[in-house]
Amino acid sequence: MAGVVLIALIAFGATSIGGFWSLLNLRSNLVFASFLGIATIGQTLCALIGGLDLAIPFVLGAANIGLVRLMNGGVSPGLGIVIVVGLGGLIGAFNGALSNRLQGQSLVVTLGVGNAVLGLVQILVSKGGVSGISGGTIEGKIPRWIEQFSTFNHSFGIAPAVLLWVALIVVTIVVLRMTWFGRSLYALGGNQAAAARVLISSWWSWTVVFAVSGATAALTGVLLLGYTGSGYAGVGDPYLFTTIAAVLIGGTSLVGGRGGYGLSVLGVLILTVLQTILSGYNLSQAAQEAILGFLIIPTVALYARSPHPRMQI
Amino acid sequence: MSGTERAPTYFLARQRSLVTPLILLGVLLVISAWHGPHLFTSDGLAGAVIGAAPLVLATLGITVIAVAGPAGVDLSVGPVMTFINIVIVLGLPLVGVSSPVLVFVAAIIVGVLLHVAMGTLIACLRVSTVVVTLAVYLVLDGLNTVILPEPGGTAPDWLASWGAASSILSPILYVPVAAFVLWTLITASTFFRNIRLMGANDRTAFVSGVALIPTRIGAHVIAGVFVGIASVMYSGLIGSADPTAGASYTLSAVTALVIGGASLAGGRAKGLGSVIGAIDIWLISYVLSTFNFGLNASYWVEFATGAVLVAALFAGGILSGLSPREWRHRGGLAGPTP
Repeated sequence: MAGVVLIALIAFGATSIGGFWSLLNLRSNLVFASFLGIATIGQTLCALIGGLDLAIPFVLGAANIGLVRLMNGGVSPGLGIVIVVGLGGLIGAFNGALSNRLQGQSLVVTLGVGNAVLGLVQILVSKGGVSGISGGTIEGKIPRWIEQFSTFNHSFGIAPAVLLWVALIVVTIVVLRMTWFGRSLYALGGNQAAAARVLISSWWSWTVVFAVSGATAALTGVLLLGYTGSGYAGVGDPYLFTTIAAVLIGGTSLVGGRGGYGLSVLGVLILTVLQTILSGYNLSQAAQEAILGFLIIPTVALYARSPHPRMQI
Repeated sequence: MSGTERAPTYFLARQRSLVTPLILLGVLLVISAWHGPHLFTSDGLAGAVIGAAPLVLATLGITVIAVAGPAGVDLSVGPVMTFINIVIVLGLPLVGVSSPVLVFVAAIIVGVLLHVAMGTLIACLRVSTVVVTLAVYLVLDGLNTVILPEPGGTAPDWLASWGAASSILSPILYVPVAAFVLWTLITASTFFRNIRLMGANDRTAFVSGVALIPTRIGAHVIAGVFVGIASVMYSGLIGSADPTAGASYTLSAVTALVIGGASLAGGRAKGLGSVIGAIDIWLISYVLSTFNFGLNASYWVEFATGAVLVAALFAGGILSGLSPREWRHRGGLAGPTP
């Protein structure tokens, strides 16, 4: 289903937009897709167990400015990346553990934690920094290899960020399909009570899944830093809705238990191609956002409807 | 909300949800008295009323959606208020409407229409509230910027004068009070009891003969009325039209709702709790504005709002709510699963 939509969109784009097949366009599309794709790993896992992670854009932005601040303060880039991705994972673990204890209300938990984290990081970054933050932007010297990692004009032909995404796609799909942990997520999303009967710990699974989501969001923040070249707290804003849209359009149900990361990859590619086409028609960012919103309801109506109460008695 | 027909212990349990917002209110008032006594002058109070009124009314609006549950979090409220704000400031003058009564009527009609559209999608397609309101958030947030790329326009004179808050004994107080009276009347009705039953357990409601689709759409009609009134107060507060500033009302209103003790599982939420929760949120930003954070002020507001939301969830989880076992039977965020 999602595959048909993707092929139709590519065909439409190829015929109506000039330069659609140009090497530059394909390369840049793949890099954008890899940013969204890596951030969507976490959102897909959360959706599979019936949760939502709204902290992704905040963790992403916090990692983005936090890494610049660490490097400005003399921390080596490699260690800095390990620190921000690790902290992202910890924040995610907190989200998951708390959401699970609070009857699965991941929506408000992640919204609250996300705002608190990004606010706190901005306060910390702006305090006595080597280079302060102004208007949410922080300048710093970004090492060349971080910039090279996400650039689409890489001498290698394909940006390393895309290769990293491909590797993560393989890992995520293998874990979801072939490991005990992956299968237990489907069980949890399908029926909590039944999953508890076969000794699947709901609390532990939520903690791990949201930790992965926090870590992938932070990783996306690092990649985006390489792409833009300076830290910006609001860099993650579009990712709040596009990660959810990619999950939904791919066909993973927000109710939990149905779908997979392969589908989300299709959703990511559909969104990327769609954005290229809309930009080709000179539509503003705001108009693209509105069109994305219009697309969500029909796709959800296809995949994620609850059954009628009369079927549940 | 009459407690007389229920067992006394249950009545007390219902009031327990007010403990968190009241404690927070007390703490914030003490800090204000110590660090920002301007609040307790007549100017300060009038400014507080017009400053908090849009959030209070918006929170009452999304409280109905929370009651209609399950997981009835209305994410659309910020962009919806912005859209009505643009309609009031730029759209109504085009058709020559500027009298107070007609502005209120028009704002409420737009609010109700938007919410009926959402309610119909949620009820008829049986898609979760979060997804539909998220989509509407995206559509309207984008649309607002397309219609009005830069802030501009001026509200009608009578409305813009509300923002100056010259006196507290003026419409800026009467409108929210009248709205709260309307709220108590609505919540006393049998129809609202049906909404509560549907939110607590839609299967029970269904077998009890409650017509689920009209009840859910009706809940959205009530929400639309309050969001419409909130938008008028918001237009008075800022005195112009702004395409982006209103979006933050989504986070503030959801936070106020949770602090106010609403159960997001559905069926239980108190209007009074939501009102106090909204006042708490306004007081947090007021208290923070009395400290000299300079350029960092917005970061502190962001941090404090998020931290208070998490703290309120902690407190609410301890004081009330379903046990994890009960929740498992309800099936999580997206409502009951088969």
